[in-house]
Amino acid sequence: MSSLGELQQLIHKKYGIEPSQLDPDASMREHGIDSLALVEFLFEVEDTFKVSLESNPDIDTLAQLAKLIDELRAAQTA
Amino acid sequence: MVVVTGLGLQSPHGEDAQAVFEALRRGESAVHEVFPGQLPKPAVAATVAFDESRWFTKLQLAGVDRVSQLAVAAADLAFRDAGAPAGLDPERVGVYVGCGMGGGAAIETAYLTGAAGGRVPPLTIPAFMPNAPAAHVAIRQGVKGPVLTYSVACASSAVAIGEALRAVQRGEVDLAMAGGSEALIVPGVVAAWQAMQTLAGFAPGEAARACRPFAADRSGFVLGEGAAFLVLESEAHARARGARSHARLLGYGLSSDATHLTKPDAAGQARALEAALRDAGLQPADVGYCNAHGTATKIGDVVEAEALAMVWGDALPQLRVSSTKAMHGHLLGAAGALEAVITILALQQQALPPNQHGGTVEPACPLNLVEPGDTAAPGLQAAVSSSFAFGGTNAVLAFGRA
Repeated sequence: MSSLGELQQLIHKKYGIEPSQLDPDASMREHGIDSLALVEFLFEVEDTFKVSLESNPDIDTLAQLAKLIDELRAAQTA
Repeated sequence: MVVVTGLGLQSPHGEDAQAVFEALRRGESAVHEVFPGQLPKPAVAATVAFDESRWFTKLQLAGVDRVSQLAVAAADLAFRDAGAPAGLDPERVGVYVGCGMGGGAAIETAYLTGAAGGRVPPLTIPAFMPNAPAAHVAIRQGVKGPVLTYSVACASSAVAIGEALRAVQRGEVDLAMAGGSEALIVPGVVAAWQAMQTLAGFAPGEAARACRPFAADRSGFVLGEGAAFLVLESEAHARARGARSHARLLGYGLSSDATHLTKPDAAGQARALEAALRDAGLQPADVGYCNAHGTATKIGDVVEAEALAMVWGDALPQLRVSSTKAMHGHLLGAAGALEAVITILALQQQALPPNQHGGTVEPACPLNLVEPGDTAAPGLQAAVSSSFAFGGTNAVLAFGRA
């Protein structure tokens, strides 16, 4: 069960970016989600998905973030 | 000679300079009740109807407090009003901003969520830091020269404009964006101001006229928020690029009371007024209008009247005075900048904003106050704007007709 869809919804809600505008394999930084916006976004991701990300995770694409969240959620239910 | 080639506003009366001045001239108050039922006492303030989406996408708003949003907008409008000159050397442009508090909403949110056991938003610090407005203006405008923030309470943006004047005069920068921003109308901060007992009392339904500068029944000031910016450059620089000037910035006077943290001092204020006139090469009789600091506190108005009398002497009756804080509130760190814009518009329009909500005048303030309905000022050639701050710094700017 991929978190990608929920992530795309969250990005749309928070930043008004349509899923079609952000290729999950594209660098988020290159889409204007700079380090400050990313910090805030990850904070919200933690709240929304009830997971805890390590500080400064090495994440550049939405797909990478979705994979990380999937792993964390799987570990929670394991 | 330094001139003002651009004006930008995000004020309680709006962003269109002409419309704002006309509203002030008509005596319209932008003061209204805020946070009904949420505070120890009823509160009023003058707020800005601001559409941040005109300058920021949602993504760009991450970690940007309202105080910075207002600054970016007002500075952008000022730069466009100056003709948005292309081809400037970015290292020869400076940004000089006055701000009293920084991001009030950000710090309030942090304390409230933290105290409730929640998680403090991660961008609290960059959102709150008082230099953020200047930084955001610089980033938006691509400025690589001096980017400075002056935090001198109620004199912050008058100081910022004065220091920008000096930087242009010294040839450090070719163009300066100078002004101020303040946005602290959030419940916790308003409650703190209420606790100081300097805010005006008001009867129900009388919110709009709560602030009555120089009136016998005055009871204090009302808070305001907003941002205002000037574009400053040398007359030669402006002429070379065909820019029109709104006014000349003739002089800047600064002093420190060194007496009391919050009580004003007539001698200190007089020194700043005299310094501004000296710097401008003006005699008191040359000045037709003073946009007073005029916070409408019991002690403040009397001390200011005393200072004006000390400096103007026999010429005092010819100096027309008004405090526009009655209508737009006290913008604290942005007060000097907004009031500078108003003073410039007065010179352009040859008209004065009235000293609104005056009623019976305080006998200890024998000033020639601008009466509602008697606002024409034909022949106005020079005007001053005063900002006298908590902490004892006094800043006065002198402007001349373009």
